[in-house]
Amino acid sequence: MTDASELSPTAPAPGLRQLFTGMLMVALSAFGGGLSAWSQRIIVEQRRWMSNEEFLTGLTVARLFPGPNQINMAVYVGTFFCGLPGALAALAGMLLVPFTLLMGVGLLYFQFHTLPALDRVLAGVVAAAAGMALSMGFKILDQYWKDPVALLLAVVTFVLMTFFHVRLVPLVLVAGPLAMAWYWPRRSHPSPPAGESP
Amino acid sequence: MPPLLLAAAAEAASCTPMRLNDLGHLLQVMGTFLGLSLFSLGGGNTLLAEYHHLSVAEYCWLRPAQFADIYALAEAAPGPSSMIVGLLGMGAGWPEGPGWALLSAYGAEIAILLPSTLLMVVACLSWNRLRDSPWRVAFERGLGPITLGILFAVGVKILQTADTNAPGVVVSLLVCVLMLRTRMSPLWFMAVAGGLGAFGLINR
Repeated sequence: MTDASELSPTAPAPGLRQLFTGMLMVALSAFGGGLSAWSQRIIVEQRRWMSNEEFLTGLTVARLFPGPNQINMAVYVGTFFCGLPGALAALAGMLLVPFTLLMGVGLLYFQFHTLPALDRVLAGVVAAAAGMALSMGFKILDQYWKDPVALLLAVVTFVLMTFFHVRLVPLVLVAGPLAMAWYWPRRSHPSPPAGESP
Repeated sequence: MPPLLLAAAAEAASCTPMRLNDLGHLLQVMGTFLGLSLFSLGGGNTLLAEYHHLSVAEYCWLRPAQFADIYALAEAAPGPSSMIVGLLGMGAGWPEGPGWALLSAYGAEIAILLPSTLLMVVACLSWNRLRDSPWRVAFERGLGPITLGILFAVGVKILQTADTNAPGVVVSLLVCVLMLRTRMSPLWFMAVAGGLGAFGLINR
């Protein structure tokens, strides 16, 4: 895959077991947050599996396609080296510890959530979590600020969901194609740098 | 029976929890999440309003306060917060006992991840062709604004579901601003707010 002429010093391609343990390390390091930064540090800087460019391409693909970004990123890294088996190995490594832990938390929650003391603490935590949820839209608002059509689309989407209780699936199936038609790249201006030919 | 009680009884009847103690219903839970997987735009958070509708109004797996609790737990726990689907599955199976709850949790998580993972594998393998395709450009630019609108709707929905008293709403708004203006770990906000809840300053 990579030959000696390549400038960036990359380590030999990982196998299924290395993919699993590598992603396990990413997941363990990111306890407390910063999953994206940790995966870059471990995959690009420590293990040298990928060049930074390849990693950033992965982030682009992971954000573009449906699915949680971090999980898509693990799938990208796994697929990059070993196809579908690699994707599953990376995914298992990424999820094993956090999901097991979450299941433990969940069992404790459903067992004990009726305790008044726990309910009181959770009422506070829920208020903070609601603030986090509220910030998600604002986080990506900046990039659409100069595009009135985008803002209109966002407002219509918001109003339909919040005040008319339109469900997600029909909304995306109708609004998605309309928005794609509007934003279909026009022939008139030259397309952005084509890069190397496919 | 007084009319008020009748109304309450009718409301309860309209939202009877699905029994999970046979395989058919477990498969129904999984089918629900399989069908939603490819609609998780913008990193998966766009699905939260739909999760709320399904688990609180349609299938009655959870009460609204429980949904808010579970959202907070998934945000606080380490790892991708999209693992909330595992907790929803657990809630669906809980009435049948912890064993079914775990089975349902794993089933739900696998179901939500499987279609998007398979699509992602195909996307990686054909990225060189996809990269310059007009479909890719239109998809990225067209779905972005829709994602933006959905995320705002999700934020409002979660705020409504949290349903805290006035100090709680102030904390929510403050956390929103801090999330945007600082790089502090949200775990701090949750810990402090949890303390405020323990002392009874925030309640619901």
